Amino acid sequence: MKSCMGKILKVDLTSGTTTIENIPDEVYEAVLSGKGLGAWYLYKNIPAGADPLGPENILGFCSGALTGTGTFMAGRFTVVCKSPLTGGWGDANCGGVFSPAIKQCGYDAIFISGISEKPVYLYCNNKGAEIRDASEYWGLDAVEAENKLIEENSGGKIPRVAVIGRAGENLSLISGICNEEGRIAARSGVGAVMGSKKLKAVVLAGSRPIPCADPEAVKALSKELGRKINKIKIPKGLGGAIWAAGIGMGKMPSMPLDGSMTTILFREWGTPSNTPLAITSGDGPLKNWGAGPGEMHGIRHAMAFNPEKINKIEEAKYHCYSCPLGCGGRLDISGFECGDYYETHKPEYETIQAFGPLCVNDDFGSVLYMNEILNRAGMDTISAGNTVAWAIECYENGILTKEQTDGLELKWGNYEAEIELIRKMIERDGFGNDLADGVKRASEKYGGKEYAMHVGGQEPGMHDTRNDPQLGIHMVAEPAPGKHTIGMAIQYGAMSICDICSWAPPATIHSKKNDIEATEEMALISKANACYSMLMDGIGSCYYAEMMGVHMYKAIEYINAAAGWEYDGDHYMEIGARIQTIRQMFNVKHGYEPSEVKLPERMQGKPPLKNGPLKGVTLKTDEQVAMHWKAFGWDEKSGHPLPETIEELGINRLMEM
Amino acid sequence: MAFKKTPDFHYENCVSCSICVQACPVGALDLTRPGKSGRYRNLFPQLVNDRCISCGLCAKSCPMECILMVIPYEG
Repeated sequence: MKSCMGKILKVDLTSGTTTIENIPDEVYEAVLSGKGLGAWYLYKNIPAGADPLGPENILGFCSGALTGTGTFMAGRFTVVCKSPLTGGWGDANCGGVFSPAIKQCGYDAIFISGISEKPVYLYCNNKGAEIRDASEYWGLDAVEAENKLIEENSGGKIPRVAVIGRAGENLSLISGICNEEGRIAARSGVGAVMGSKKLKAVVLAGSRPIPCADPEAVKALSKELGRKINKIKIPKGLGGAIWAAGIGMGKMPSMPLDGSMTTILFREWGTPSNTPLAITSGDGPLKNWGAGPGEMHGIRHAMAFNPEKINKIEEAKYHCYSCPLGCGGRLDISGFECGDYYETHKPEYETIQAFGPLCVNDDFGSVLYMNEILNRAGMDTISAGNTVAWAIECYENGILTKEQTDGLELKWGNYEAEIELIRKMIERDGFGNDLADGVKRASEKYGGKEYAMHVGGQEPGMHDTRNDPQLGIHMVAEPAPGKHTIGMAIQYGAMSICDICSWAPPATIHSKKNDIEATEEMALISKANACYSMLMDGIGSCYYAEMMGVHMYKAIEYINAAAGWEYDGDHYMEIGARIQTIRQMFNVKHGYEPSEVKLPERMQGKPPLKNGPLKGVTLKTDEQVAMHWKAFGWDEKSGHPLPETIEELGINRLMEM
Repeated sequence: MAFKKTPDFHYENCVSCSICVQACPVGALDLTRPGKSGRYRNLFPQLVNDRCISCGLCAKSCPMECILMVIPYEG
């Protein structure tokens, strides 16, 4: 593939050796790079039953097939491994500048196996790779370690660093891997896998050119997109009224949308623009998923997290590599009680929702503080927030006592106790030790399983399935369950996939109630959403590029220009189906049974809420998931990919390469 | 006396994507120059040290065509 380096770096930390392997072109043709390359390599090379925290597990850092080609919004890297959190497929992705740095060292991916005896870091540049002692960095938080590693490896090109914080070192199963001062590839427990290998960091300082078949054609596509984004301007100060739009959204049907809608919101406020919308529309889970906007003071919470408050303290916009949008930002938090911290990344919507309304906390400053604590520790804010919310509900209902919580008064809205609890979780201190591995394990020890919100072992993203039944399908059917970035009704409405894929149904105006039904049309919609999502992960693209839709973000044209191919959308959607099928095969190989993954009853609307936009909603997710599997050519009862599907997608032959 | 070309940035169309920063093989660029307007508080690329080797890779990589390689005028 003319946009890839054609090589991977393999590192064995047990023997301390590194080797380079050429990858056949047929592999890129079949699965692209990124998550696809990771799925191919891990399925082949991790033996069934391998301990996720043992030497046989492989941790992969994968760049995208279009990263570095001039393609906009294609700068994300994907971390892949067997997940210690679920026992099945694990992946997490992140922006920043790490993805092009992988390719500039000469590789499309770096796969790390084995376990080192002492803390080490991996250093790569144009000359090769070496494993170096990391004793002096072990124990530092992710920001301290990254800055120290950059300083000590400076002198030429700025090194790019992926690093674990204290949570990963302490093998917290909800820890992630950081770069760019606390941006996290957070999900699936990838940080614990890195910690188990005694690998503190990967430091990349290469400067090799990244190939591209037709750079001028790629640049022309980017220029067109960049000009459109540069023209976006909306009147100042509207953030304070977003909550009102949310009330309208909660009543809206599913419908086709303009892909530029999210672009406008995210350019102005970043993902925090979603917080007031989510709180009042029913999209954002409240009070540990136990309440809807009808049961809580939704508007008060929405105003507490007015995104204009964030804009007021934003020192600078933060753009990931190759992104013209810039949804990130660096915030001055010196005006809040945030300990010794004076700056933080703009918190993502997910973080705000998880430590704000999910825990009935409307203290804006405390969320900024927790954001920085967790970013530096490298702990997944989605999983941590769900776990803290569970603990609060258990405490409020007498399942947990003050003695068990080490004296913490875990009450709704007590943000001081929240802060203390996450500190204890990061350091595995006392009660925090039992929560450091997520809500499933904590509830197995203490009870309160009915309050433990996880899907197949992973805590769900901050979007309520009762508001969007399509999301419920993906939360369960996704091989790394609980994720919120695979498909949603609003996403499908904005993407216009039917314009590039012959079998994808068009988005129509219809009642959300129709989305509850298990129909063949719904199965094709969810399949199309998942296939397109895998395609975008294969090229290293961003979820918000996906949300722009196929007419604004021209992924198919980009791939053809960068790779020198002339395929149509159907061909690329089949690549997406192939990647998804290999990930599902990984779960089957490792005994992680898809049919045992269920939505918690609350998320299914059992019992249904009594007020607000989610009133009376009860999902039929199991039936929908069965039809989703069938549409993929997987067994509708077990979720196992059928032999004929595997053969049709050419996976058997691919695994022989 | 040798005249050395260096990047001249035209920020009107710059989208702060940092493609040029990462394309620079010697680490001569970084996003550090604050935007003028203050509305979108973007950081823009500029030379941050004297390592520039006049290779032009930054200009070649820029999708928005914001960079020209010029001999700096010292009037």
